[in-house]
Amino acid sequence: MIDPVQMFLQFFNQLPPQLQEIVRFLYSEPFIKAAIFPGALFSTLVGLFAVWFERKLFARVSLRIGPLHVGRVSGLLQLVADAVKFLSKERIIPEGVNRPLFVLMPCLALVLSLLLYAFLPFGAGWIIFPSDIGLLLFFLVAALTPVPIVLAGYASRSKYPFIGMSRMALQLFAYEIPLFLALLGVVLAAGSLNLEKIVEAQLAVPFAVTQVLGFIVFTVTMLAETERLPFDIPTAEGEIVFGWQTEYSGVYFLMIQLAMFEKVLAFCFLAAIIYLGGWIGPPIPGVPETISAPFWVILKALLVFTFVALLRGVYPRLTIEKVLDLGWRYLIPLGLVNLILVASFSLAGPIIRP
Amino acid sequence: MAAGSEAALWTLFLYAVLTVVAPPIFYVVSLLLAPAPRKKLRVKLMPFESGQAPIPTRAAPFPIEYFPYIIIYVAYAVIAVIAFIVVLDMISASQNILRGLIILIVLTFASIYASSLLPSLKQRLERGRTG
Repeated sequence: MIDPVQMFLQFFNQLPPQLQEIVRFLYSEPFIKAAIFPGALFSTLVGLFAVWFERKLFARVSLRIGPLHVGRVSGLLQLVADAVKFLSKERIIPEGVNRPLFVLMPCLALVLSLLLYAFLPFGAGWIIFPSDIGLLLFFLVAALTPVPIVLAGYASRSKYPFIGMSRMALQLFAYEIPLFLALLGVVLAAGSLNLEKIVEAQLAVPFAVTQVLGFIVFTVTMLAETERLPFDIPTAEGEIVFGWQTEYSGVYFLMIQLAMFEKVLAFCFLAAIIYLGGWIGPPIPGVPETISAPFWVILKALLVFTFVALLRGVYPRLTIEKVLDLGWRYLIPLGLVNLILVASFSLAGPIIRP
Repeated sequence: MAAGSEAALWTLFLYAVLTVVAPPIFYVVSLLLAPAPRKKLRVKLMPFESGQAPIPTRAAPFPIEYFPYIIIYVAYAVIAVIAFIVVLDMISASQNILRGLIILIVLTFASIYASSLLPSLKQRLERGRTG
């Protein structure tokens, strides 16, 4: 009998000590978390899958078939082909642009969108950076993500990007505060800014049920923050060409698109974690909790993403004044009313159940 | 892995390095795959204007009608910070909930009043522009 573990250990002990150190580092918990799950590999793969899923779903909504031929299973590898195509295009920098900003801003957008995943827990302990102010850190990075977008529109020095950029700035000004107020409702109900504790607080009932108003406000602001229909006026294709992304092509466009999808997905994961109960779900027989917990989070996030993608198929685009009206005049009071409701429930809670 | 421990910081550092490395990887792959830059045609480098020769821009088309919204953002940012402090206060001890609730009710009515005023603010600005 040859035991594979014994064989591996023997082989490992024969390696030179420097190589042993490297293997230990690659197998260490920080590296696996940062590089594989829930880190770089997972966030990139899930972003690619989301693009395929959205295209397929959008095609089905409009009675088409969608990607079909590349890859064995219903065009699953179409995106790889698309990415290779974008990468093999000439890198064109139009004349009159601000070159350093034009080149750097897609990179910055991608880095910031990927950084959002550092604060999302995918189960007890399945988190890159556990922190007592995790929700605040997520909001901080999410609030920084518009900066590269606005600067990219400015650096293009062209008409359509400028219009898209000014719309983007107005829209984000309007929706940052309702988003913050909706998150405050969750913080007040859970009594903590730690995302893992927020999930534990939803053991009985998810916050989507107890804070319907907050959930609505969060969903609408999530759509506006990530430029999804019906709030995609900054990149309204067919109206202002492609908004702030008009001048970008090739590898820069690929980075921008990946960054936008990573951001949408990060918000979907956040919605699943803070409103839909995160990894709390019925236990799956025969599967340990370390695997079933991320499974529930991903399943719930995909449900949210399906809703987001379906909206693209069924809704027309809003005009800028309606977008601003909705943000400033309705969502902010609604967010505050939600806070009042949560506070009065927690005030009445000890009286109702002593 | 405890919150804020050294291992957590090390993991965050590793992940940050990986995210920062991602765009250069894309760029290098593009360097390898994309055709070598030949003679650049001027048509290729023009800013996109639906196939026409670009019309020189005059003043920037910034929508001035919506400028009041940017000004009131400053006021609402303060409201958001007040709400944040109130929530932290309410979390810290349960007897603070009542006084926090009063502040929240005042803020809510203030924001509802402001939202009833906002359309007339825009109209007033337009009237000022026309005459």
